[in-house]
Amino acid sequence: MPAGREYAAPVAKVEALPYDDRTVYSVAAFNRGVGQWLGRLPTVWVEGEVTELRRHERWATVFFTLKDPGDACSVGVTMPRSRFDALRLDLEEGERVHVFGRPELYEQRGEFKLRALSVERFGLGRHLAALERLKATLAAEGLFATQRKRPLPLLPRRIGVVTGNAAAAKRDVVTTIRDRFPPASLVVAEALVQGSRAAGEIVAAIDRLCEQGDVDVIVLTRGGGSFEDLLPFSDERVVRAVAGCRVPIVSAVGHEQDTPLCDLAADARASTPTAAAKLVVPDLAELCGKLDRAREASGRSVRISLGQESARLERTRERLRLAPALTVERKRAALEPLAAKLASLSPSATLRRGYAIVRTESGLVFSCADVEPGDRVEVALAEGAFGARVEDVAP
Amino acid sequence: MSASQPEQTFEQAQAELEQIVERLERGQAPLDEALALWERGEALYAFCRRKLDAAEGRVEELARRVEQSRPSGI
Repeated sequence: MPAGREYAAPVAKVEALPYDDRTVYSVAAFNRGVGQWLGRLPTVWVEGEVTELRRHERWATVFFTLKDPGDACSVGVTMPRSRFDALRLDLEEGERVHVFGRPELYEQRGEFKLRALSVERFGLGRHLAALERLKATLAAEGLFATQRKRPLPLLPRRIGVVTGNAAAAKRDVVTTIRDRFPPASLVVAEALVQGSRAAGEIVAAIDRLCEQGDVDVIVLTRGGGSFEDLLPFSDERVVRAVAGCRVPIVSAVGHEQDTPLCDLAADARASTPTAAAKLVVPDLAELCGKLDRAREASGRSVRISLGQESARLERTRERLRLAPALTVERKRAALEPLAAKLASLSPSATLRRGYAIVRTESGLVFSCADVEPGDRVEVALAEGAFGARVEDVAP
Repeated sequence: MSASQPEQTFEQAQAELEQIVERLERGQAPLDEALALWERGEALYAFCRRKLDAAEGRVEELARRVEQSRPSGI
């Protein structure tokens, strides 16, 4: 079907009234003229979020406002009710749609509208594709790079929490932080966490927290939700705000399987709000216990090493005590073989076998040449000795 | 040299004492020297013992102070 003509205002001549040298249009003629000019514009696809949807059985036309999610701009949309109903879209507030239509002037009021020929729900597939494109762009800029990640402070002076008001996520984070580290100082910045205004509010909340000089870490959290619910956390503005934040940010959005882009830009990611709280503060009781145990262990090890030194000293002393007696004993033992050797060298054993030792005044007699007849000799026996004179000599 | 000279540490005295004991146990020192070594060893032992006792005293004292200053209510 050729677009346009069917819904265009009927073409009528736009007549001006001459006043002297001035050409003046009536309001109706002006509107008609602008309307005709608008009617020549082409039919296009426009993407936006549906708000203020008004549909009545008595009305021939359905009205809604199409809002730009990234901007404050909006445009009124009209669509014949029969055509709208035939699409069976069952649209809800805040849903993102593609509208196929062209500009039109509501001549009675001079209001510019988008005259819709068709509306398509912006499907999951398109959302995913858009998300993938954004992810690739931001990744190429290095926003998700590991080297950009900053370590979280061990003991933050103040903890900022960005969360929805009355959200279970907020309660989980606050309760867990208080339980683990009672002296923790918290500041909560509330924001809408779903819908078209969420991204802007989240960015504003992060900025508010960053302005507080003593905030050392921020937790950005939201409980689980549908893919669409979590979309604000993949909004380019939010992702850039997270990446550019003055202090480290822990992102805990949705459930484990969800990976909104803010998770990739954050310095740390937690699968649940409770897990995020555990990342930003230590468990005080556990910390104190660790310190106590370390102190006890160091005292114990000093005592043990003193005990070991003492035992070693006593063992050495015992050896020292035994050493002099040992020395004397060794000296004595060394004497024993000498005594035995001395004994074996004594001639008394030989004498006992009947031999005798003969000596003169000049010494031992070994040969008959050593004596002459008449010489006096001393004869020593095994038992006693006697003197004698040499009778004769037999060479 | 006296075993209680201030520049001698516990470890130095202990090392010297152990050397003396080993030397005596080998039994090669002349008797007079062995007796002199033994006397020196006893002096070194007394020095080491005093050092250890003093260290133990300080550890216990510190432990008492830590116990008294333990913060309560956390």
